[in-house]
Amino acid sequence: MTNKRSKLYLLALAPFCLLVLFFEIAPLLTVIVRSFMPEDRIGFTLEQYVAIFSKKLYQQAIFNSVFVSVASALAGIIIAFFAAKAAHAASGKVKSFFLSILNMTSNFAGIPLAFAYIILLGNVGVFIMIGKKYGISALSGFNLYSLTGLLFTYIYFQVPLASLLLIPAFNGIHPQWRESVALLGGSGLTFWRKVGIPALLPSILGTLSVLFANALAAYATAYALLQNNFSLLPIRIQEQFTGDIVQHKEFGSALAVVMMMLMVISIGINNYILKRNREVRG
Amino acid sequence: MKQKKSSAVIIIVICIYLLVPLLLTFLYSVFQQWNDILPSGFTTQYYQQLFTDTRFLTALARTVLISILPILVCTVIVLLAMYVVVVYLPGLDKIMQILCMIPYAIQGVILAVSILSLYADAPEPFSDRLFMLTAAYCVMILPYMYQSVKNNLSAVNAPCLLETAQILGAGKLHAFFRIIVPNILPGIVISMMLSVSMVFGDFVIVNTIGGSYFETAQMYLYKTLFTSGQLSSALIVVLFLTTLLISAGVFSLKNRNKSSER
Repeated sequence: MTNKRSKLYLLALAPFCLLVLFFEIAPLLTVIVRSFMPEDRIGFTLEQYVAIFSKKLYQQAIFNSVFVSVASALAGIIIAFFAAKAAHAASGKVKSFFLSILNMTSNFAGIPLAFAYIILLGNVGVFIMIGKKYGISALSGFNLYSLTGLLFTYIYFQVPLASLLLIPAFNGIHPQWRESVALLGGSGLTFWRKVGIPALLPSILGTLSVLFANALAAYATAYALLQNNFSLLPIRIQEQFTGDIVQHKEFGSALAVVMMMLMVISIGINNYILKRNREVRG
Repeated sequence: MKQKKSSAVIIIVICIYLLVPLLLTFLYSVFQQWNDILPSGFTTQYYQQLFTDTRFLTALARTVLISILPILVCTVIVLLAMYVVVVYLPGLDKIMQILCMIPYAIQGVILAVSILSLYADAPEPFSDRLFMLTAAYCVMILPYMYQSVKNNLSAVNAPCLLETAQILGAGKLHAFFRIIVPNILPGIVISMMLSVSMVFGDFVIVNTIGGSYFETAQMYLYKTLFTSGQLSSALIVVLFLTTLLISAGVFSLKNRNKSSER
């Protein structure tokens, strides 16, 4: 009887296993294996990786992708921290209003976002016009179609996501902790430095690695803004698989593996810091 | 009091920062010209143009379908798996966590390209584009759904709750799905909403896998981007309102659940 029951509950695990096996593990392995293969032949080679690191175009793609991802993730988490702190302190009505704004804008990414920023800061954008009319050179001289311009659009889509991920974590901050710190003579700043932020650190780091991965994988915003004129990893990968005339699936797979490694490194650093943090505190 | 005020200021500033690009896109769609600081020539012609185009309406319907289906499927899959992990095999959580983290590393382009190149010539149902897309989106949102379910489970202290329920005579299945799940549902609904908006806004995956077989509103938008700025902005506004409707639907569902419990 117990045996039969044990088999029954395993059935609940089956859909998960099937999904993961067919649409996560199998495609992942295919990409990895293919990245070590020469084009149009069976065999083993490292030539695809040598090509990536010896060509300036692809080095630039890696640098640009990493820079824009790290910078936008950091900016996003800082803004989100204050957003979540404010939401936590606000009344229920204000908080739910704020949450709905965040939810609403969290899907404003990709092509719509690129389009909105073109209206705002593009060559004839509203802020550029204002800058020109009133002689504000910081505005009129702004170039949206650059690394900095791209960074601005990336920060925009990081903020709602980061805030939505951080707000629930603030529920774990009990008002009593604050009172205890105040009773012991600590200021608000002391509270956040010694109690609040350490308590939130797991959520902050987890969110940070989500943001990094989110920016690294972002494709549509950059593509709508700059088409193929800007070297970013996802754009270069897509090119290798969807070219109408020639496709370089093996080279594209190697690029994809490099991108995956970047994501894995960010997750690894996050886990390492978390573990060390736990050891120090324990 | 001072704290309340400063938090209100922060919320207002962030809301303005987030809403300005949206507002401008809307204004752009209802004016014929925008060559100076202020636009001129109010019109609704771009919306009329959009809603008389059956190709667009079909694309929009496809988008709505593909944004809801994978989220429901994925939530059920994760909850079922979590039931086994929490109730019977807590040791499996480490493996499940790793499996649910992997999609981080194969997001977007990588996921789309690898699934397509693997199954494009495979037998049915794998080569079916809708099937492929649904599965791809399930994998895409897996980290978020898993993390959310897990965070919420630990927030309600699930093992403790389970034990209490069992002491009071509830079965394991009953305890998990009738006591723990309703408790964590509010938290999960938030990440479901987040997931719906992620899928709704996706372009890479649907463009790669769907291709010309499954044209969604995002792809329609990309095509109009280079032909008409105003039509694009009208389209962006419509897409946006549709997302809001989906979110509102989820919210009212959540509220109905709550009131029926009482």
